[in-house]
Amino acid sequence: MRKGFTRKFEPLRVLSDSQVETIHKRTLEVLAEVGCKFESVRALELLKKNGCRIDLEQRLAYFPPDLVESSIRMCPSSFLVKSRDPKDNLLIGGNTLYFMSSLGARLSDIETGMVRVPTMEENNQAIFISDALDSIDLYSGYTPYFEIEGVEPVMLCSTSLAMRIRNSTKITRGTQPTDTFIWETLIAQAAGQELIGNMEAAAPLSYPEDAINAAYTYVEAGFPVYIAAGSVMGGTAPVTVAGSTISNNAELLAAIVFIQCIRPGTGIIANDCVFPMNMESGDLFFCSLGSSLHQMAFNQIWHDLYRIPTNNTGSAFPNSKKADYQSAYEKTHVAMASALSGANMIVFHGGVTAELSYNPVLAIIDDDIAMTIGKTIEGFEVSEDTMAVDIIKDVGTVPGTFLNKTHTREWWKKEYFLPKSADRLSYPEWLNSGHKGAIDKARERMEHILATHKVKPLSSDTDRELDKILNDARKYYRDKGLL
Amino acid sequence: MADSIQSLKDVVLDFDIDRAEEVARNAIDSGTDPLLAAAALTDAIRQVGDAFGKGDLFLPDLVCASEVLKKAFPIVNDAIEKKGATQESLGKVVIGTVFGDIHSIGKGMVSTLLYAAGFKVIDLGINVKGEDFLKAVKDENANVLAMSALLTTTAMEQKKVIEGLKEAGIRDRVKVVVGGSPINQEFADSIGADGYGSTAPEGVKVVKRLLGIKD
Ligand code: B12
Repeated sequence: MRKGFTRKFEPLRVLSDSQVETIHKRTLEVLAEVGCKFESVRALELLKKNGCRIDLEQRLAYFPPDLVESSIRMCPSSFLVKSRDPKDNLLIGGNTLYFMSSLGARLSDIETGMVRVPTMEENNQAIFISDALDSIDLYSGYTPYFEIEGVEPVMLCSTSLAMRIRNSTKITRGTQPTDTFIWETLIAQAAGQELIGNMEAAAPLSYPEDAINAAYTYVEAGFPVYIAAGSVMGGTAPVTVAGSTISNNAELLAAIVFIQCIRPGTGIIANDCVFPMNMESGDLFFCSLGSSLHQMAFNQIWHDLYRIPTNNTGSAFPNSKKADYQSAYEKTHVAMASALSGANMIVFHGGVTAELSYNPVLAIIDDDIAMTIGKTIEGFEVSEDTMAVDIIKDVGTVPGTFLNKTHTREWWKKEYFLPKSADRLSYPEWLNSGHKGAIDKARERMEHILATHKVKPLSSDTDRELDKILNDARKYYRDKGLL
Repeated sequence: MADSIQSLKDVVLDFDIDRAEEVARNAIDSGTDPLLAAAALTDAIRQVGDAFGKGDLFLPDLVCASEVLKKAFPIVNDAIEKKGATQESLGKVVIGTVFGDIHSIGKGMVSTLLYAAGFKVIDLGINVKGEDFLKAVKDENANVLAMSALLTTTAMEQKKVIEGLKEAGIRDRVKVVVGGSPINQEFADSIGADGYGSTAPEGVKVVKRLLGIKD
């Protein structure tokens, strides 16, 4: 089982108890009065059977508050997800924090920020590197790239999943567009691994047909489901943090009612990916103050009131085009606030250019940042031993020193974290050793990983089975005229 | 009358959606020439559009000013039609996000900017089927068809629509403009589009260029 990081202190709370209560009540009001659109007759019928009022013509379901609250209580507050290698199983929920690798449509050049379509080899290499990074516990859907040379767009998600499973034993999330969940479910099952399913809304307050079909498939396979609403403050949600908290929570709670109607007790991870709109261009401010505050409120409400595990996407995609100072600060401040406020998962490594690109060298630097953030929430020990009063007494005043104490020799290794890619040389040492910065050091680490890391391979039978599923998928899309 | 003209401009420049209909109705009821009233509204929205282009105003300003126009214009237009006159627009644009694609924000911006620039815009929304694009182009006798696609999986829908236009024998009647983050000039050329815009403001320029309208 992957340990992730365990938060050892109370999470940071940005809302008072009565504010949490009010936001929840007003969310129920939205679900009862505005309802939520479900573009599927099958889903609407199911919701009706379970007590929702529906308007079939408008594809709307209206949710009675009691049904919403009882559905929330059906969600487990923690659950296990099994990998093909038990060392990479996840126990999601509680005080545990896991980091999820980020993604990008294409590969970014680490020096210039220019973006291009990666080859399959580059795709697989990036996964292999992520497998070696300690702070990556699981993968997003279609990680790392959404475009791979030679892969037809409609085959991307299923091919990408097969490559992740071949090149890593870590858990991964599935996706939903164009029936890809059918193939992703089969691929995971063939590899003897559970997936984290996916159901993503189209804000405001609507679920497209593929999101609903994806939920059915994943839930029926017995997988937990990651639910997301991805709204844009000022565009598909109110521009304010409080308003977009209500609309986003309403979207997610509608999904929870639906999923618990399909199969009570299904594990849920509620994702927060709500970003302010750039009012000059319509683009999104990803790693911004607005999304950070939104996530802190989200973590508090879902942790304290709903007791449902949370994921935060706010630190996944800096707007910066380069692996530079901006990309680092954008990500770090948002992820740190997420961790302190009790997120169970944070999407983090390797993404850049506002979701449009990814780079494995950046993922390696991000490994250091994630470790620092994770270790922050683990806090430090306060004990007779660590308070070291005996030693303070023993050392006394100047010219006493702590460097010659066994206590120092033993404890520094327990309490320090040494980032692998950070340059911490003195200036003269730095001059004498090639003027290397974090990017150079991360590149060196990448070479080392490529030369030494090992991934438990799939059996050749399983490997052939994955190819067969991909071929079936190809035939399916060809018959549909999509290939 | 000068007062009514000024208040029509002001209601746009104040982004006053709530008073839009009232101001338009007052102007018409007090005998303002509806053609002059229409010109006042269009002047004002262009002013807002220009200020947005310069970075002095922001998207919500532009969109709210367009909302004022959407409320005030039908009233003014009715009066124009009653007089038997017609209100000129720069041209008719049918716009939408292609089938299978629900990304609406970029398409919405192009739509708003075209409207603010003086085009009549028929926005079909998102997830628009090929046949609905064709029908709208025919029914509206559109000058321009603008399509948005944000996914590599849906980019090819734009090609299907262009082929549909050819099959329906109306390809020559309409200029086709495409956009969205996976689209580039090369792709636009390869599917036989007439123009491509990497941003919404650029899209407006391309549409104007294709219709021979000076900036
Ligand atoms: C917001 C968003 C969403 C929202 C959409 C909300 C909405 N109502 O629009 C939601 C969450 C619903 C969503 C869903 C999905 N998304 Co999305 N999404 C984005 C995101 C983050 C921003 C898009 C956006 O609105 N940008 C702001 C606007 C202003 O920019 P724009 O759309 O590019 O438009 C500008 C120009 O392109 C141009 N333009 C646009 N259209 C047109 C048309 C014409 C005629 C002209 C001239 C110009 C023009 O003008 C605009 C302004 O200047 C992008 C990543 C990114 N950074 O772009 C991913 C992205 C587009 N999505 C992506 C994906 C994969 C998906 C999903 C498949 C994910 C999933 N988990 O299932 C689903 C697909 C759903 C579907 N069937 O369509 C990928 C596409 C990858 C690819 N290469 O195909 C991207 C690039 C993210 C990524 N790296 O993976 N998404």
